[in-house]
Amino acid sequence: MSRHRAVRNLDYDEVMDEFEENLEEEEENRLLMEQGVADVRDALGAEAAKVTKTQIEEALWHYYYDVDKSVTYLTTKFINPPQPKAPKPAAPKPTGKFIIPLQAMLPHELQDSLHWAEDNRDGLGGRASRLTGFRQDHVGFRVPGSSPSYPLPPVCLSTHFHDMPWGNIPKGRESILIPPVVPRCGLLGGSGAPPKMTKLQALAAARKKKAQEKTSEQEVEQTRTQMTGLSVSSTPTQKENTPLSGAFSKRLKTSSSTAQGRVPIIPTEPRSESEQSVEPITKEPEVVAEPVQVPPVKKAQPSAFAQTLFGGPTPTFTIQQDVVTLGLAPSVLEAFSKPSPDDIVLAAQAKAGKKPPAGQTKKSKLSTTNSVTSSVAELKIDDTPLPKSRNLNVLSEFEKSTQKKNASFVVVGHVDAGKSTMMGRLLLDLNVVDQRTVEKLRKEAHMIGKSSFALAWVLDQRTEERSRGVTIDIATNRFETDTTAFTILDAPGHRDFIPNMIAGASQADFAVLVVDASTGAFESGLKGQTKEHSLLIRSMGVSRIIVAVNKLDMVNWSQERFDEIKDQVSGFLSATGFQKKNIAFVPVSGLHGDNIVKRSENPAVAWYTGPTLIEELELSEPSARAMEKPLRINVAEVFRTQQSQVTVSGRVDAGSLQMGDAVLVQPATEKAFVKSLLVEDAPADWAVAGQSVVLHLSHIDPIHVRSGDIICDPNKPIPKEKTFNLKALAFDFLMPMQVDVHRGRLHAAGKITAMPALLDKVTGAVTKKNPRLVKPGQVARVRVELDDQVPLEAGQRVVLRSGGETIAAGLLE
Amino acid sequence: MADRRRINGPPGSTMPPVFEDDAGQPEVKSGKGRDRAPTAIRKMFLKTGVTPSASGSAYLEFEKSNKSDVSGLKLSCTVHGPRSLPRSSPFSPHIVLSAHVKYAPFATKQRRGYLRDPSERDLGTHLETALRGAIIADRWPKSGVDIIISIIEGDQDREASKSQGDETWDMMNALSGCITVASAALADAGIDCVDTVAGGVAALVQDAGDDSTPRIVVDPIPSEHEKVLGACCIAYLPTRDEVTNLWFKGDLPASDAGLYTQLVENGIQASRNANRVLVECLGETTS
Repeated sequence: MSRHRAVRNLDYDEVMDEFEENLEEEEENRLLMEQGVADVRDALGAEAAKVTKTQIEEALWHYYYDVDKSVTYLTTKFINPPQPKAPKPAAPKPTGKFIIPLQAMLPHELQDSLHWAEDNRDGLGGRASRLTGFRQDHVGFRVPGSSPSYPLPPVCLSTHFHDMPWGNIPKGRESILIPPVVPRCGLLGGSGAPPKMTKLQALAAARKKKAQEKTSEQEVEQTRTQMTGLSVSSTPTQKENTPLSGAFSKRLKTSSSTAQGRVPIIPTEPRSESEQSVEPITKEPEVVAEPVQVPPVKKAQPSAFAQTLFGGPTPTFTIQQDVVTLGLAPSVLEAFSKPSPDDIVLAAQAKAGKKPPAGQTKKSKLSTTNSVTSSVAELKIDDTPLPKSRNLNVLSEFEKSTQKKNASFVVVGHVDAGKSTMMGRLLLDLNVVDQRTVEKLRKEAHMIGKSSFALAWVLDQRTEERSRGVTIDIATNRFETDTTAFTILDAPGHRDFIPNMIAGASQADFAVLVVDASTGAFESGLKGQTKEHSLLIRSMGVSRIIVAVNKLDMVNWSQERFDEIKDQVSGFLSATGFQKKNIAFVPVSGLHGDNIVKRSENPAVAWYTGPTLIEELELSEPSARAMEKPLRINVAEVFRTQQSQVTVSGRVDAGSLQMGDAVLVQPATEKAFVKSLLVEDAPADWAVAGQSVVLHLSHIDPIHVRSGDIICDPNKPIPKEKTFNLKALAFDFLMPMQVDVHRGRLHAAGKITAMPALLDKVTGAVTKKNPRLVKPGQVARVRVELDDQVPLEAGQRVVLRSGGETIAAGLLE
Repeated sequence: MADRRRINGPPGSTMPPVFEDDAGQPEVKSGKGRDRAPTAIRKMFLKTGVTPSASGSAYLEFEKSNKSDVSGLKLSCTVHGPRSLPRSSPFSPHIVLSAHVKYAPFATKQRRGYLRDPSERDLGTHLETALRGAIIADRWPKSGVDIIISIIEGDQDREASKSQGDETWDMMNALSGCITVASAALADAGIDCVDTVAGGVAALVQDAGDDSTPRIVVDPIPSEHEKVLGACCIAYLPTRDEVTNLWFKGDLPASDAGLYTQLVENGIQASRNANRVLVECLGETTS
């Protein structure tokens, strides 16, 4: 049958009847009670006034309406007690209603044998647990929500558990528990002994400590007096009864007198410093607050739990030997009293491992100390190389290396003298460039109608250079013979590009002057750039010159023409300052390649038996390298590569460097590090003076490096100058004027501010002071002031130009 | 609805019933009553800066009562803040105080749940009220501070099954401890207060025995007395002489108004004593 139907079929009348029966029963009880109360009152007679109705009812209830028993109980308890007493001073309030407990339904035997506690309301468990004594005197004073707590009667537990002692365990049966010795640390995680501090807390603690140290002696004294004051104030009877003055005490007075509804205020101990020093005021001794006796509060010792939590003083455990080794044979104990065999072996190994001879230690220690002090003294933090540096001794490395001679030469000459073509031929014949490339170039040149320029295009690679047919900037290329590695610097011949030519000439050891032998061209050249270039290269310090008389095929290899040119040029060069032995003449044909690498097979040139151009080049000894001097690199170009944002190319003018070195870039005065370097287009670890290098720099911003700058040793940097003195050879009239100062790639604007002296060309003696004008060909001391600071050094050669003309060249003083 | 498929154990611990074998045995109550002076509070151990990760923290424990089996109250309080309020919360010109009180599940005889029950929330509200009067709230606009108290052990008689109605009175003691420990933790956190606030409890108790008249004691342990008639917990600022929180409980006759006053007065006295310990503890920390 489903539950729904059960509910539906429920006989309500039956249920209600049951309920009414219950009610009837209660009614019956009430009547019985009323009857009983009346009976008891009758029995007590006059004494009835001494007991309340409730008490009677209570008694009746517990004696199950037995009037006699109730009367006896009431008489002994209330009427003739050892000391009859009004129930409560706080006027016990009758609860008003009498609760008819459920126990009425319980069997009578149980009720007779047990005294039921009145309070059975709270909790189901109460019935079983509150089998305690009946206490009449508590009836009627109950606080709702609370139950009176009855301590357990002293039940003799030992009767219940007589075999197993509950407390009072005899010593013999007690087991000894040894708590584990825990490490001294907090429970709240962490490993250290004190609770872990955050950084901020540590900081605060440090500051606190500092402040603590700062406190002067006086403050300490003050604190001490305060402390004594405190101890006095903590004795309660003295202090608590000391009232305060003023409104406060008045308030106190009223409160103590009226007492009703106001909280009497007991004066506090003064807390602030000023108050402490004030003596206790005894103006109104009659005003005494409630004499509450307060014992001094002492701090409790932390419990075991707290001690564990904060790592306080751990209780010391005395481990008794006999407890631990209970039942162990003495031999076993013996075995563990000594270090184990493993321990012995390990100790011995540790000892053997680090035992150097005693004398040696001392000596080496001494020497190391000395070397350390000396090395520390030498230390300079500034130029510590990057860890990448191999710390090579570059010069000794250079000595050891079996490299070929290194020489660079600049090819100069009048425009269209065939410099680039001749160099192209040279490279082609030396197989530096292959035939196919040249064929390709030739085809391209033919396309734009300049087929004769094909070889020149080997070096002139810019589109502008090719379209205009002139070299604009220096083209560098390399080739090697059996003895020497050459660097070609193909300079532009056009007069507009003289600064570039100067840059090229400054990197050269010697020069190849190309002269156009064809009729008319030589003459125009001699008046033009042939002359200017030779003057410039001489003033740049180039002392050896090879004159290649080009295009002799145009004049049918005429020896007369060659001799004529030779006479004119050698005369001119001698006048310029070249020594006769340093001048060589080679008749060549750049376009066809005669006498350049291969001796000409043309019978018309049979008259010439001298060396070819390449032989002549190999004969030239490169100038001495200033390797011992501090590092100087002229920056020719700055560009970007994958290796470094700042890659510079240039020639090492002086000194040496290696990978990882610190260098200084002037005039920016920025430090950089050499990440890696290429010498002659091949990766290398080091480079020396005379080599063309490509440096990959690091730790520097690209804006600090420009072409024309000088990379130098950070310890011996090149000075930056704004004004300098120059021993200048004038090519034109010199007077105080605006000039451009050229040094390698660098060109800076400035002006001649003074001309202190005219000098003798040979001896250098002063011939005239403060000339107004310096004529061409004269040597004078000139003072130049620049607009900006420029890295310049004595011994450097500079060129002064003005208005597109070279006006002077000279040596810095 | 309870699980009917299996037999669940009782939620709390139970003691085996011990039946009275001898009805006429005299009731001996020695060793159970209060041995302190009526105006003496139990000794306290207070320590600040116990939780490193909190801005401020304190630990408080009451001395174990040597007469009864009541273990001392153990509280730990952490203060987090002042910290900026979350963006979602509305603007507040004062510091927003939130106090959480939680009994550890094992703290009391009756095992506590992991969620806060109404009595714990009640304690939290009282605590918040008590502290709000002490904190200078307008020094931190737009910020909040969380005060979290965990009651590690309540002071209850764990041994007996008898004192089942004592929980309400235990709450009084717990609250007073909470106030004291929270005040210490606030001071440790460096939150500006007008004064250190400490809690004190006074109660009207009735001792066992025939000659017992109700008397007023401070720091009552309910199991030490036959019955607690009424109690009041007070949070008090001693230097300013102000009561920030007052909690009265019990059923006292309305006729005797002086009784109320006396209870409050004793409560203040108790809190003042507690405050002395508090000040001493804070002094130890700073010095």
